[in-house]
Amino acid sequence: MTTLWDTTGSAVVKALGAERRAAGALAFGLALTLVVVVDEKNVGAAESAASAAQAAHPCRLLIVVRRQVDAPHPRLDAEVSIGGRLGPGEAVVMRMSGRLALHAESVVLPLLASDAPVVTWWYDEPPTRIAFDPLGVFADRRVTDVSTAPDPLHALKLRAADFEPGDTDLAWTRISGWRTLLAAAFDGRHDHPASARVEADPADPSAQLFAGWLRARFDVPVDVAPAGSHRGLHGVRVAVEDGEVAVTRTDARSGTITRPGVPPRRLPLPQLGLGDLLAEELRRLDDDVVYADALATWSGIADLARRSGHREHIWRDPMTVAATAVPSEGAPSEA
Amino acid sequence: MAPTVGGNPLRDPRDRRLPRLPDASALVVFGVTGDLSRKKLIPAVYDLANRGLLPPGFVLLGFARRDWEGHEPFIEFARECAEKGARTPFREETWDGLAASIRFVRGSFDDDAGFDRLAEELRSLESSHGIRGNAAFYLSIPPSAFPVVLKQMERTGLADEKTAGGWRRVVVEKPFGHDARSARELNSLVDTVFGPQDVFRIDHYLGKETVQNLFALRFANTLFEPIWNSQFVDSVQITMAEDVGIGTRAGFYDETGAARDVLQNHLLQLLALTAMEEPVSFGADTIRAEKIKTLRAVSLPTDLASYAIRGQYEQGWLAGERVKGYLDEENIPATSTTETYAAVRLGIETRRWAGVPFYLRTGKRLPRRVTEIAISFKQAPHLPFDATDTTELGHNQLVVRVQPDEGVTLKFGSKVPGTAMEVRDVAMEFLFGEAFTESLPEAYERLILDALLGDAMLFPDNAEVEESWRIIDPLEEFWATTKPYPYRAGSWGPTAADEMLARDGRHWRRP
Repeated sequence: MTTLWDTTGSAVVKALGAERRAAGALAFGLALTLVVVVDEKNVGAAESAASAAQAAHPCRLLIVVRRQVDAPHPRLDAEVSIGGRLGPGEAVVMRMSGRLALHAESVVLPLLASDAPVVTWWYDEPPTRIAFDPLGVFADRRVTDVSTAPDPLHALKLRAADFEPGDTDLAWTRISGWRTLLAAAFDGRHDHPASARVEADPADPSAQLFAGWLRARFDVPVDVAPAGSHRGLHGVRVAVEDGEVAVTRTDARSGTITRPGVPPRRLPLPQLGLGDLLAEELRRLDDDVVYADALATWSGIADLARRSGHREHIWRDPMTVAATAVPSEGAPSEA
Repeated sequence: MAPTVGGNPLRDPRDRRLPRLPDASALVVFGVTGDLSRKKLIPAVYDLANRGLLPPGFVLLGFARRDWEGHEPFIEFARECAEKGARTPFREETWDGLAASIRFVRGSFDDDAGFDRLAEELRSLESSHGIRGNAAFYLSIPPSAFPVVLKQMERTGLADEKTAGGWRRVVVEKPFGHDARSARELNSLVDTVFGPQDVFRIDHYLGKETVQNLFALRFANTLFEPIWNSQFVDSVQITMAEDVGIGTRAGFYDETGAARDVLQNHLLQLLALTAMEEPVSFGADTIRAEKIKTLRAVSLPTDLASYAIRGQYEQGWLAGERVKGYLDEENIPATSTTETYAAVRLGIETRRWAGVPFYLRTGKRLPRRVTEIAISFKQAPHLPFDATDTTELGHNQLVVRVQPDEGVTLKFGSKVPGTAMEVRDVAMEFLFGEAFTESLPEAYERLILDALLGDAMLFPDNAEVEESWRIIDPLEEFWATTKPYPYRAGSWGPTAADEMLARDGRHWRRP
C-alpha cells in the first residue's frame, strides 16, 4: 500500500503502476473500473460495499471523496493498494479538497482501466442531474440510490426526468428477488389479473418501482398500501380469476409463494446487503430496458428507454448556486 | 406491448435480472444413496435452491433400497450430503424450504411394489406440490440395471407423457455402453421408452464454463476463426491428466480402461467442439448437427502400432508420496492388461482440417490434474532474422485450460530486451476467476438445471455416442492383442507416447 499526501494525479498514476509491478502475478485482467463517489462520513461503508462487490467482479476500484470545496488551496491525498484492506483487486482512495473537488475527473480519467467499461456509483444522495457530475458523464453505467435522499420519491422523480439508458437505481435492484419469486409464481399460469397490491410504505421507492413494473407488465391498477406494522416491503398480492397469487416475506431470508389450488411454498428471498446489490449491478453492463419501462410507467414520462444515452457535462459551481436549485434544462456555461 | 416469455406477462426476454426457472417438476433420482448422488447430485440441488434457481413447485424424490421408514431419514441423509458437498454456504432457511419438498420411496429395481409406490407418490405430488405431471428421472445406477428399471417405468406408465399430463425426461450417466453394439442397444432401449428428445446424456465436461467458453472464443470473435484451419494450425493436443489412481472403482475400471472411460466421451467431445464448423444458430439441434459431422469425419491412423499407444502405471512417487502400481491395486488381477493411459493420433478428413493431427491423451497417476486443449500454430513461413536470433522461438500456441485455473493462454514470440535481436516465447494469460465472478457454478448444477429446463444443448445425443464408439472400437480391437507399455506413476506416460510425437517431429506440451 502506498499513501500519498498532498500529491498530484500523475504521482497517483505512477504509484498504481508501481503497485501493479510489485504485485506481479496478482495484477488483474481488468474487466471494468468502478468509480465510487462518497462523502467523508460514509467512506467506511462505501469501501466495504465496494470491496465486497469487487470480490465477485474483479475491477479497478476508484473511490473519490470530495470535501471542503471552499478550502483556499486545492489538495489531493491518495491511498493506492492492491490486495490490501480494500479487497483482492486494485484500489485507489482519493480525497480531493478545494477547487480540485470540482474537477475530480482530471485525476480520475488517467486512472481508468484502458478501454474497459466504467461504472459510477453515488453512495449518497444522487445528483439532481447526472450531467452536473463529470464522474457520471464518462461512465457507461450509472448507479444511484434514491433511498439515501431525504425525500426518496422526489429523488426518484428526478431520476425519471433525468433518465438516460445505462442509469439504474438500487431501489430497483432491491426488488430483483421479489420479482423473481412473483414471476416464478406466474410460470405455467395463463392469467388475466384484475388488480394488484404492493404491501409497503407508499413512500418506499422500491415499492413504487415494483408497482410501476406490475402496471407496465399487467396493464392493471396497482396500489401501494402498508400492511399492519411491517416495515419495508412486506408482500405483493395479485388478484386473478381463481383467487390470489401472493408473495410475502416470511423472514429476513425467505419468502412464501401462495397460489390458488397449490400449497404455499417457501423459497429464498434474501435481504441483500449493499455489496451484493452493487455486485448485481456489475453483472450486467448493458442498459436495463425493463427498469426504464417500470420507471416510465410509474413516473408517467413516456419512452424513457428510447432516450439517446448521451450526456454532456453541465458546469455548475456549488459556490454560486443555491443548494436547493431546481434543475433547469440545458444552458451550459463555462467556469 | 412488451415481449413476454412462455405466456407469463412478468417474464421479458430483455429482463436479465430474473433467472430462467424450470417448470414445476420432480427430480426422481434412482440410486440416490450412491456415490455420485451423495457427492454431486444432492449438493448441486441444494446449491441450485440456494441460488434461487429452482421453481416453487420443485420436488426431489429419492428411490433406493435402504430400509427407511417415511421421508425423514432420507431428508436427514440429504442434509448431510448438502452440508458436506455444497459450494454455497449452508443456510437453515434454504434447507427448510427444500426439505419440505424432499420425498423418499423405498424399493429395489426388480420390486413391482416399489415402482407402484413411486408412481403413486408422483401422482400425489400433483396435488401436494403442483408438479403438473413434470418429472425428470436421473438414473444414477449401473448400466446393467437400466433394462429392468426402464421396463418397470414402462409397466407403471412413469415414462408416458400423455397419462402424466406433463413432460417426462430421463438423465443417464456414462458409460453409454462399452462398444458400438452395446451402445446402440442401450440407446434404442432408452429411446423407445422415453423418446430420443427426452433423453439427456450427461458428459459433465460439457457443463464446465471453459468448454462453453470455446463457443464464445471461436464464434464471438473475429480474431481466432480465420486461423482455425489447416493453413495455420500445425497440430492440436487435447490432454486430460489425473494424478489420482483408480480409487475404489477397481472392478469397473479394470473392465473399462482409460480409452472407454475418458477417450470415448470427454476427449472426443472436446475434439468435436474444437474442430466443429460454426453452427447456424446457438441451439441444441444446430450444435449437435455440427458436432456429429466432425465426429463422422474423424479418421484413425493406419499404423495403429505407432500411433495408438496405451500404458499402465507402475509404482512410483507422486506429489511426495509413494504410490502403488496398477497391478498392485486392490482387486486388480495381477495379469490385467487394462490400460490406465491412452494416447492416439486422429485426423479429421475435412477441407478445414486435412493433414492436421489431433493428439489425444489421457492417463491416471500423471504428475498433476489438468485438462486442456492446446492449438499449436505453424511457424512463420519466413523469418527475416539470423538463425541464431530465433533458436528459442517455438510454435505460437493457444491453450484453453478446462481445469483447473480455467482460462486461456496465448503463447507467442517476443524480443528479449537488450542490444541483440533475440526472440523468445512469452505467455499471455486470461483467467476466468480474475475477470469474472468468483464462483463458477459446478458442472452438475448447470446440467441438472438444463435437463429440467429441457435445454439439450450441452448433452451429446445417441448419434454422437454411437459415432464415438465407431472411432474407439477399432482401437480396442487392436489393443486386445497387445500389452500396455508400463510407465512410472508420477511421470507423463510411457516413452512410446513420446516417440509417437517425435516420429512426427513434435513433442507433447507439458501442461
